[in-house]
Order: sequence, then C-alpha cells, then structure tokens
Amino acid sequence: MSYHFGRGKAKLIPYLLLLPGLLFYFLISLGPSMATAVYSFTDATGIKGAPIHWIGLDNYREFLFMGRASVDNLDALKRTLIFCVAVTFIQFSLGLLVALLVNQKLKGTNIFRTIYFMPVILGAVIQGLMWSLFLYPLGGPAAKLLSIFGLRSEFLGGQPAEAFAWVIFIQIWANMGITMMIFIAGLQTIPTDMYEAARIDGANSWQVFRNVTWPLLTPSVNTNLLLNIIGSLQAWQLFLVLVGYRNGTQVLGYLIYATGFGQTSGSVTSSFRQGYAAAASIVLFLLVLVIGMAVQYILQRREARILG
Amino acid sequence: MNRQLRMGTRIKWNRIASYAVLIFIALLYLGPLFMLVNTSLKTMPSFMKDATSLATEPHFENFSEAWTKANFPKYLLNSVGYTTAATAIYIVTAVFVAFPIARGYIKYSGAVLTLFVIALFLPPALIPQFQLMLNLGLYNNPIGYIMLFIVNPIGIVILVNYVKTIPRELDEAAALDGCGYFRFVWSIVIPLIRPAIATVIVMHAIGIWNEIIAPTIYLTSKEYYPITRGLIVFQGVYGSNWPTLAAAVLLLTLPMLVLFLVLQRYIVSGLTAGAVKG
Repeated sequence: MSYHFGRGKAKLIPYLLLLPGLLFYFLISLGPSMATAVYSFTDATGIKGAPIHWIGLDNYREFLFMGRASVDNLDALKRTLIFCVAVTFIQFSLGLLVALLVNQKLKGTNIFRTIYFMPVILGAVIQGLMWSLFLYPLGGPAAKLLSIFGLRSEFLGGQPAEAFAWVIFIQIWANMGITMMIFIAGLQTIPTDMYEAARIDGANSWQVFRNVTWPLLTPSVNTNLLLNIIGSLQAWQLFLVLVGYRNGTQVLGYLIYATGFGQTSGSVTSSFRQGYAAAASIVLFLLVLVIGMAVQYILQRREARILG
Repeated sequence: MNRQLRMGTRIKWNRIASYAVLIFIALLYLGPLFMLVNTSLKTMPSFMKDATSLATEPHFENFSEAWTKANFPKYLLNSVGYTTAATAIYIVTAVFVAFPIARGYIKYSGAVLTLFVIALFLPPALIPQFQLMLNLGLYNNPIGYIMLFIVNPIGIVILVNYVKTIPRELDEAAALDGCGYFRFVWSIVIPLIRPAIATVIVMHAIGIWNEIIAPTIYLTSKEYYPITRGLIVFQGVYGSNWPTLAAAVLLLTLPMLVLFLVLQRYIVSGLTAGAVKG
C-alpha cells in the first residue's frame, strides 16, 4: 500500500513506532510460550542461578507413568475433562435459553441481561468470596434452604466430589453472562422476516427454533462451544479461591501451578519443580489442542452441511 | 374470535413462564449479593446467632474496620497503580502496532498480525515467564509485575478491525497538509478510533484489576499486594468474621458495579471479544 508520510528514511518511522509493542510481545508472551516446550525437558527449579540440566523425556515419563503421583495426575486429568464437559454443556444450554428469553419483546429484559452479566466483571476473588458466604455451612442461606427439605451439607468443605460440584456450579454462574451475550449478538443478526415467513407457513415456536433460529445461529454456536470448551479446560482460579489445593478436587491447571510455584504461596523454595510443571503444561496444552481441533473439525463439517 | 382469544391467553402464558424462569435465575445472581450486603451490616454475635436474619439495625462500623484492618488504602493504591500503568503502556504501544498493520504501511502486515494472534494457540507462558522475571531481577518487583500486563493480542485484533473502517483518504489529505506520521496517529487516528480504544482499555484494565494468579506467583511482599491478593490474605486472617470480611468484599464490589453500569457498553463488547482468550 502506498505510504503518504514522506519518502526514504521517513518510511521507516512506522516500523520504529511498532517496535516496542512487538518486542514486548516477543519477550513476555510469544518467547516464553514457546520456551515452555524447552523447559519441559529440563529439571529447572524456581531458584535463581541454579543449574538447569537436560533430562529428555523424564518429566513426561514421571508425570504419566510413575508411581502414586502419576495416578493423582491422571485423576486430575480425568477431573479436568469432567469439569469441561459439565461446564460446557450446562453453560451453553443455559446461556442459549436465557438469550432466547431476553431476546423476546418483553419489558425489563435489559435489567435481566445486566444482572446475569454482572459477575463477569467482578473477577474470581469476589465471585468466590460471595459464594463462600452464601454457602456458609452454619446457617447460611443455602444451608437454610436445604434444611427445609431435611438435608444438610458442608458445601465447599464437604466431600471432595461435592466441593467439586459446587465449583462447577459457580464457574457456570460466573461465566454464563458471556455465553448469553454472544448468543444475543447472534440472535440479533437473524432478520425478523425469516421468523415471519416461518409463522405464515404455520410453524409453531419449536419448529421456528428448530428450522430458523438454530441453523442461523451456527456462528455463535461455534464460538460459544469452542470458548466454553477451551476456557473450562484451562480454568482453575475459582478452585484457588473456593476450596484451595485439596485432594480429590484438583484440576490440571491448578496442579501445574502447585508443582511449579508451591501450593499456597509463590515464595521460592527448592522443591518447586518448574521443568516438571512445564511438562504438565504441555500435557494440558496438547489436551486443549486435540479437543479444540476435533471440535472445530466437527463444527466446520456441520456448518458446511447446514449452510452449504 | 374464539381463536384469537385462545392465541391471546397462550401468549400470556408464554410471558409468565418466561418471567418465571428469568426471575428464578436472577435470584441466583442477586441472592449472594444481597447476602453480602446484609452480612456486612450485621454484628458478629448476630451473625453467629442467625446468619440469614435481616440486619434491622445496620452496623456500618464493619466498613471502617475492614478499611483499616484489611490495609485497604495501600492495596487499593497498588491495584490502581498497576492497572493504570500497564494499561497506558499497553494501549499506546498497541495503537502503533495496529495502525500500520491495518493500513499495510509495513511489509508483511498480514503475517505480523498472525504472529500476534498465534500466542493464543500456544502453550501457557507461565513457567518461562517466571524464569525470565527471576533472572532479570524483577521477581517481587512492581515494575516486573506491570511488565506482565503490557501485552494483549486480542486488543490488537479489535483495533486493527476498527482502523479499517476509517477512510484511507484521510491519511493522504493529512500528509498533503504536511502532517507527520506520529502526529497523524496521535492526534487524528486516536480520537477517531475512540470507541475501540475504550473497549480495549476497559477489557484490559478489568483483567489486570481482577488478576489473582499473577500476584500470588510474583509478589511476596505485602507492601506490593494488589487488592485481590489483599482480600485473600484478609480472608485467611478474618475468615470466620464474616461481617467484616463481607464489608471488605463489598467495598471492592460496589465501585466495580457502578463502573459496570456506567461503562456497560464497552465492557460487554470488550469481554465478549476478550472471551477468546479463554
């Protein structure tokens, strides 16, 4: 493209001004990201100046196949997948339902939209503390509700499976607003005469949804599915705030953090195995990549079938 | 007539069912918020006696207690500092990356944009980033902490797309009038792409403000803690004193809610675009 702001050396000015942004990006994001693979073959620790040795595939072998720890790791992997499936399925369906409801010509839909989106801006710490209070086991609102039915629960402090289920619930609560907003944006691109035409043809609400809304919503369906899947495979902040590093509840993201930086704080000690944590990051990355690509492939074939 | 009447009632039922579902879900969102407000206004003995009873005589001293004991002023100032510094550096560098890419004023601009997006699909940078900061001597250092947040590829994509909507003739006209490249971008392009800049700033700033993992990894001295980490520490100490803890959480929630209501448009467009980050 032709450049209007001078000739000769003046043409270099855009490059010069672009440079800081590009350098920061290489230094802080792209470089470290790629170096994760390199670190995964070493015995790096979190100590400054400590020697680092090349140990080949040892980290991976240990992570996947060696002793008690590898059993725990594979459990965490399984749990990550359960978390992903549960969160994606519920958040996607609920987000779609709510988007359809608030997209009707009803009074007050804006207020509902605002309410559902609210937690997104509050962040994991406030989300987590809010729910810790709501789930206060000694007579908090949730405990009171259960007691009406003669039930009792320790909620986040209860059995690992129970605490895990609550984190799934809160994760969906926190992020459903984003899914909803993406669906609303998609719904608003569907021309109203499509609905009218279907109605004139005598279609009922379900048929309109099935034959008009759902196929035309394909782009937002794809976006939301991919975002939910990838996001939930990597999410673990709420575990940190709600239950801490507790046996029977860990997901891969948290496990990586805990092996790399210690379980509760980031103070540097010798036991922090960052090479091993890097290998675990690569395992998680491959999981995200394989699942993400498979889903992408299925979605694209579906899209071609519907729109082609 | 009969048929119309039936249609009428059916639509009404539809409405009632819609509202019922919407209100039920809304209660799940407002319930925890209400519990937070109510608890923050109670005394500890009254909370222990009955956690859910209404705070009929509001006690505001929880807020002053939280404000001083949670070391709020210090943490808040840190959070504001980190967020403004990192966001300012980021947005200025990002505009100068996005503009020439959108205009094709640099060679291989398409490839450069791809380079920026590719990090979204690569492994997390967590471990090498830490090693880098450690070896640069920037561990447990506010400057190092700010550096972590001066990159955000999605913002660049948003800016590039927005710059493309601005007519190219403007560049020619400005250049003919003798305007230089830097001045053109700084005083003509930036005001024109304000909506996109606002979206990117809001999205980026919220991310930094709410960050909890990075401060747990990188900041060990209490004097450097941002408010998120401060709250977690406060929870560790005052975990059983819910009225004070609730007041502390609310002190942080209210400004966010107000900001949200004011900037809703930018926040929604930023975060739905920013959601790509996962």
